[in-house]
Amino acid sequence: MSFLKKYNIVEKFKIIKQFFDDHVLIKSSLHSVGISLIASLIVIQFSIPQFYVSATLREAQTAGDQGEIGGERLAGIFTGGGNMSNIYDQFRSNMHSYVLAQRMWDQGWGSKIFGDGTMDEEYFNTIPKNHTIGQKAGAFLLGYDLFEYYSAHDLQGFIMAKARPTKEVKATNITVYVMDQDKNFAIDFLNAVILETDRYAKEHLIVKSKEIIAETYKQLATSRNSSITSALANTINSEFYKIASLENDLPYHIYFIDPPHSSEYPVTPKVSSIIFSNLIIFLFLSIAYSFIQKNKEDLW
Amino acid sequence: MVNEYFQLIDYGGSVYYYIFELANFCFLAFFVIIFYKLNYINSNSLVVWVGLFFTPLLINYFLIIPEMYGDQFEYAREIMSLKSTGESISTVGNTTGIASSASSYVPHPITFTSWVLGTVPLPNYMTVTSLAFANKLFIFGTFLWFKNFFQDENKVLLCFLIPSLILYSSLSLRDTLIIILSSFFLLNLLRGKYVFAGLLLYPIFIVKIQMFAIFSLYFIGRLLFRAHRSYLMIGIFAATMLVVSLVIEEDVLMVMNTYILAFSAEDFDMGGGMFSYAGWAIYADGEDLKVHSIPEAIYVAVLRLPEFLLMPMPWNWSNFFYPIQALESYLLIYLYYKLATRRQLYKNREFALLTLMLFIGLLMYSLIMANEGTFVRYRFTLFYPFLLALFYLAYSKLEIKQS
Repeated sequence: MSFLKKYNIVEKFKIIKQFFDDHVLIKSSLHSVGISLIASLIVIQFSIPQFYVSATLREAQTAGDQGEIGGERLAGIFTGGGNMSNIYDQFRSNMHSYVLAQRMWDQGWGSKIFGDGTMDEEYFNTIPKNHTIGQKAGAFLLGYDLFEYYSAHDLQGFIMAKARPTKEVKATNITVYVMDQDKNFAIDFLNAVILETDRYAKEHLIVKSKEIIAETYKQLATSRNSSITSALANTINSEFYKIASLENDLPYHIYFIDPPHSSEYPVTPKVSSIIFSNLIIFLFLSIAYSFIQKNKEDLW
Repeated sequence: MVNEYFQLIDYGGSVYYYIFELANFCFLAFFVIIFYKLNYINSNSLVVWVGLFFTPLLINYFLIIPEMYGDQFEYAREIMSLKSTGESISTVGNTTGIASSASSYVPHPITFTSWVLGTVPLPNYMTVTSLAFANKLFIFGTFLWFKNFFQDENKVLLCFLIPSLILYSSLSLRDTLIIILSSFFLLNLLRGKYVFAGLLLYPIFIVKIQMFAIFSLYFIGRLLFRAHRSYLMIGIFAATMLVVSLVIEEDVLMVMNTYILAFSAEDFDMGGGMFSYAGWAIYADGEDLKVHSIPEAIYVAVLRLPEFLLMPMPWNWSNFFYPIQALESYLLIYLYYKLATRRQLYKNREFALLTLMLFIGLLMYSLIMANEGTFVRYRFTLFYPFLLALFYLAYSKLEIKQS
């Protein structure tokens, strides 16, 4: 019992009890609980439930097998992930590019996002766009015209804001996620963005391979050295092989470990956390007010 | 076990973020009021600590984007993954720090930090800032413990108002934990509590292996050589360190060069997207950065020491924290000098050994320094515990009584 005496536990317990009697177990605390519930209900009422839709991707092995530049391979060897990092950077850049937004726009995604979903080209190119007063004032003062209709620019902004690719340092998986209130739309949208990004990369590589083949043929026609001729022929073969592997519907740079799928329930807002947090905040405000009132002299 | 599919829901700077984090602040502020009522702290401390507990709300998303200290997301993801599934995130689970490779009994520093900070019963661990509140509570605990050794609580309070300490303890990083463990180690060692100090070396080894190296030497110097008793023993201890490092020169240089190259590679930027380890692997070999002998390492470290002590230099100021940190670095050096001259403390052998260890630590860091932002942080986590230890020597009740 000397421990209790040394630290004066009983006395301290009495002080805490007195504190609770004076500042916590009082009428204003009850009021603050009521106010916190009202505040929580207001926050929850204005919240939009968001589903978490994500896809897990990994670099397709074929990309590394077909003519990556030496440096990238070297980086991969030394860092254990340099090549993967380049694929990720390329994937992210393509995903957020204007070209991709333009391609998605041509497929009618502008209509699904900004309009009523009608796939008529005439309709989705003429969806009227509202502007803020600030934008209107800026345009008036600087003398330029605002876009009357939604365009691929808006879709690019939407993709950049919504579809977020992430890859941890040294990790091998790429996760792309979207948070939206309509999970079916989000799944379709994410799927389309990923596949179109990959398709765009594939088309770029096909064009590149065709150019290499055309130029290599020219070199081949003038080459007199047998070893150079053989090397050029090998290049043409590998580029034809690359085109063959690119001209199919399968993803090229990446493949799906987990295709886009939604969380079962909305991940945000967390109703219980909002109520609990508001309760703590308002209860503390009540306690702090009561405490400051009674200890003004000591504190200042 | 690794949880590959864990994703942190990013609340950004939304209204939810402020609701969750305000609740954390209120919890801590309530805690401080109770301590005030129990007479553990005075009214100045009450007001100051309520203010300090509020600072995490003013840093992330308000003053800076949290990506500026991007490691915070790693800690936030890890704590939430551990609390929700009991498994580490893939980045942590699949990789091992240098400390982790030594033994399977040594957890990853991120896991360990998240686990320790996660013991604080905060109302919410929902955002990237939540762990910062846990950091705050730990630093408050350190204040409560530290002030027991002094008569004037207000002087101790001033030690906890250093800008870098406020900044790092307002972020979800492990620097606060390193500072706390280091301070506990140093003060226990100064008080002759070797068992407790020895036990503290284990968590220090996990969270910061460089600090472990410095403190191990200090521990050996004090316990085995009794170097705090006489200048002769300090000399023998220093000579022994030098001789041993020359005997195992190859191993010491290998470790040093690994750190030099690793930090240089991390800081490497050639432009055109060629940066960090990937760029380094292609375009640099780092042969000219390596040191080839112990005397050369000491010579290079001494040459770089002034820059290390005074950085960030004015021509490198790239954000608003840099001028504050630069001024603070001058102030901390001045404070060290002022404390050393108090009661002619510089004549004290304990002070001599303490300063020798700080000097060795500073030399080590100045040798391997690369990225300015990182090493400003490293310098503070090294310097501050030594400053607290010196403050203890200069002002503690026991030390004054003994002198």
